[in-house]
Amino acid sequence: MKALILTSFLFLSSQSIASEIHVKVKGMVCSMCAQGIQKKFTAQKAVESVKVNLDEKFVLIHTKKGEELSDEEVTKIISEAGYNVAEIKRK
Amino acid sequence: MKILLLFFLLFSFRAFSHPVIYKGGWVFSSMNMSELSNNYLMYSITQKFSLGLEQWRMSQSSIHQEAGFLKLNHLLWRFNQEDSQLNLYLHGGAGLGDKKFSQDKNVLGFMTGLEGDWETRNLYVAGKYLQFHDTFFSQVRFGISPRKASFEELQTWFMLQGLIAKDIQDTVMITPMLRFFYHNVLWEMGSSTRGDWMLNLMIHL
Repeated sequence: MKALILTSFLFLSSQSIASEIHVKVKGMVCSMCAQGIQKKFTAQKAVESVKVNLDEKFVLIHTKKGEELSDEEVTKIISEAGYNVAEIKRK
Repeated sequence: MKILLLFFLLFSFRAFSHPVIYKGGWVFSSMNMSELSNNYLMYSITQKFSLGLEQWRMSQSSIHQEAGFLKLNHLLWRFNQEDSQLNLYLHGGAGLGDKKFSQDKNVLGFMTGLEGDWETRNLYVAGKYLQFHDTFFSQVRFGISPRKASFEELQTWFMLQGLIAKDIQDTVMITPMLRFFYHNVLWEMGSSTRGDWMLNLMIHL
């Protein structure tokens, strides 16, 4: 019973914590062109903040509590901005 | 202006890269030199195609040519690498040119073009060729950025442009220039080796 309560608590807690998505992007060499990535992610209901790092070639996305973006959605947004995803990591 | 630029029909000319941007994005661009100008507004239907209107002017003491187009741009090929991006674009369109474009009559016609660029964060190479009736426009560019600016910083480039436009110049016009961009706004300033000024502006919306 305790295990069930604990599992339920952990599951519900994980649903309300915002997540961090780290996306390695190929071809991101121009800051003006990469504005499209920021604009596209910012327009998503689930997204709290977006940071583009040209030096390390990644985009860091923080989602809102209880919201999530799937890998497919992330890949689609990056693709529609004109780039290719190299890797997606989550925390 | 002696022509009837009543409407624009299909595809045209470009001043400096970015004919297609992210899906749903708008690009306004204005390139201005004493003998040439080019203005357009394009909407990227997808990340591969954009559609919009474009105006073109070439003038010299004895020549004044002007044309307007409805233009379709296609990103034919993009090669994204970790530290570089290579693009190849096709331009096509139809529009109305004034009578100097076709010796004494206004003309409805097609334009075609090819454009390519390769860039890293501090090197830039681009070239394009555009044609409408018997007039063509050809341009190459080389650029160096001394510093890799971050996403939020002002980016500065030193560029050299070689341009030839039939009927306007018989030789290549060389124009050193400065390019800046900050967030979604790009502007360029230069003066050719003949002393002709150049001012360009581009905004992504």
